[in-house]
Amino acid sequence: MSDTAAVEAALDKQNGVTLGRVLGRGKLGHATDGPDGKMHATVRIPEDELVYEPGVLILPHGGVLELELINDDKNTHCAVLPNNGDTQFLWMVNHSRGTATLELDGPGYYWYSSTTGNDEGRGLTGAIVVSGDVPSEARLDRPQQPRP
Amino acid sequence: MATEYVDAGHAVGYMTLSASVGTAPPVAKDLTYERILNARDEPQNWLTYYGAYDGQRYSPLDQINTSNVGKLKPEWVFQAGSMGLHSGKSTYAWEASPIVVDGIMYLSGWDGQLWAVDARTGNELWRYKHASPFDVSLCCGNVNRGVAVAEGKVFMATLNAHVVAIDAESGKKIWDQPFGDVRAGESATVAPLVVKDMVIVGSSGGEFGVRGHTDAFKLETGERVWRCYMVPKPGEPGSETWPDDGEAWARGGANCWITPTYDPELNLLYYGTGNPCPDFDGEVRPGDNLFTDCGVAVDADTGQIKAHFQYTPHDLWDYDSTMEHILFDLDGQKLAAHFDKNGFLYILDRTTMEPVRVAPFVDRIDWGEVDEKGNVTPKLYPDKEGDPVHFWPGPAGAKEWTHACYSPRTELLYVPVQDLGATATRRRREFKESIPYWGAGVAVDGADQSGYVSAYDPRTGQERWRWTAQLCMCSSLLCTAGDVVFGGEPTGEFNAWDANSGELLFQFQCGTGHHSSPSTYSIDGRQYVVAPTGWGGWAEGFLPAMLGSSHGSAVFAFALPE
Repeated sequence: MSDTAAVEAALDKQNGVTLGRVLGRGKLGHATDGPDGKMHATVRIPEDELVYEPGVLILPHGGVLELELINDDKNTHCAVLPNNGDTQFLWMVNHSRGTATLELDGPGYYWYSSTTGNDEGRGLTGAIVVSGDVPSEARLDRPQQPRP
Repeated sequence: MATEYVDAGHAVGYMTLSASVGTAPPVAKDLTYERILNARDEPQNWLTYYGAYDGQRYSPLDQINTSNVGKLKPEWVFQAGSMGLHSGKSTYAWEASPIVVDGIMYLSGWDGQLWAVDARTGNELWRYKHASPFDVSLCCGNVNRGVAVAEGKVFMATLNAHVVAIDAESGKKIWDQPFGDVRAGESATVAPLVVKDMVIVGSSGGEFGVRGHTDAFKLETGERVWRCYMVPKPGEPGSETWPDDGEAWARGGANCWITPTYDPELNLLYYGTGNPCPDFDGEVRPGDNLFTDCGVAVDADTGQIKAHFQYTPHDLWDYDSTMEHILFDLDGQKLAAHFDKNGFLYILDRTTMEPVRVAPFVDRIDWGEVDEKGNVTPKLYPDKEGDPVHFWPGPAGAKEWTHACYSPRTELLYVPVQDLGATATRRRREFKESIPYWGAGVAVDGADQSGYVSAYDPRTGQERWRWTAQLCMCSSLLCTAGDVVFGGEPTGEFNAWDANSGELLFQFQCGTGHHSSPSTYSIDGRQYVVAPTGWGGWAEGFLPAMLGSSHGSAVFAFALPE
């Protein structure tokens, strides 16, 4: 479904055709490599939209992400975030700002969400996409194979 | 006017928002290879995946016996649940075998979950969660079969094919090594095995056209020691069983997704290997396709293949042979027993991997004939494109991955049996990395199925007794010196049978199906039997009649009343 199709069908908003917003919406964003050897990114919750922005955050590789989370909404939300070690939790009252340190393997993608009420169903479910390949020593010893 | 943001602080670990203690006693610190080698000298513990290296799943504990097992009561229940969007949300199952060291249980769940639990009370001591990608390729659900413990560390394979070493006291990660390629369709569900100063794992992904392998890493550092591929490259021994041209070998399968057994005297690891790929379209891979569907003896120090026996050459039925090889000595012979998916029990001389005895263990077998030496004559198989072919056993096998057991007291093998067939229709497809590569459409029989628990005499290959179930039996069995056999049913009952007669002596409804490996231990002289429950996994393959059953996720510990 293209962004245009979702907007025209009123799926990418609160109380359009659907009650909430269909999952996987929001803009695309990229984390950046910092001089500290960690990746950095910011995610916001805009007012009355019940979406993390960017909704899909792309990491250039696996590793440690320092994530800033900002709640610009006039309601309270949270973030339950994937992390090697233990799932991370951040409670975000109206107009608040917090941080999270996440360690994630690549490649693949991970969902995170606000687990209060039914924020998840209304649209507050975001994705973190980890790009790249596994290290060469973990790969199969075989000729390069076709991919879809 | 803009106002300053409220400081929401820094995210905290979920464990800190629970009753979890956060630390465990240092019981695993002194758990050495020598202790695991002599695991049965510590009957109060369940120190390694099968209870001991021989894979017998036999405990010398006898407090619970045939005269009192009927009085068993659930002592505690540990529950996990599921939160958020995770991979295989509809296919998770609790398949682990709990490890117990001096009163502390180390337990893995699905989706990278690991706990230390007080084995007396069921209280959580710490947890570790490895984040698993939502989009990892999984043939058979979000599952994990257990952990290994040694030298103060807990070792777990993750869904995205890493092996992690976790501090057994704090639950914190010590090291992390990837050993598979998720972009190629590899994953990991195996319970690691500690041998000497190494931890050994194997890859999953046999339905995605990968090249199966097993890997060994140093316990202390995670440094790789060896990797053994189960499909040879051109020019290597066994490569003559693959086409001369093309890349069929590179997509050949033969994954090692079940923990091997180990003979320390011979220094051999006994692996079962998975199906060839594509599962049902043999025309693209003419030949026997070594070392798929094999029992393979591997030198533990070097990772070199020393001997093998192939149960189903040129497999066309998805008859993985990954399941355990139970090691035991009888009448002066060093033997290995293997119940294969193809419906036959094989008793092998484990010094040579030559068959001593071959016998059927399921009522309906029509895919082919196997003689007393293990020679195969195929009869029914997907052959022509688009032609449906029905055969017994179906691709789930007459016995799935769940384990049989052997009692040195009764000198009998006990096996959970699935009697159901399937229809496969060959449909050729191109190979593409990470996409299922079966070469057929498959529908497993629904209502026409049956199951039982059987006792087999390894001296004759004859069935001694049979307990008939309502449905296919697909949980591992456990036997004890109390002459009791334990196992669970898909409908939730946890059962105990008399090891000599098969009489049902105890039954408790756990509320969700069993697809795991129960274990037993004792604390201060009190024996417990522990059974993870949680129906799921590849149910459409091994019991579609129960595909709509509730999932659940609970570990039950049973004991006699004090």
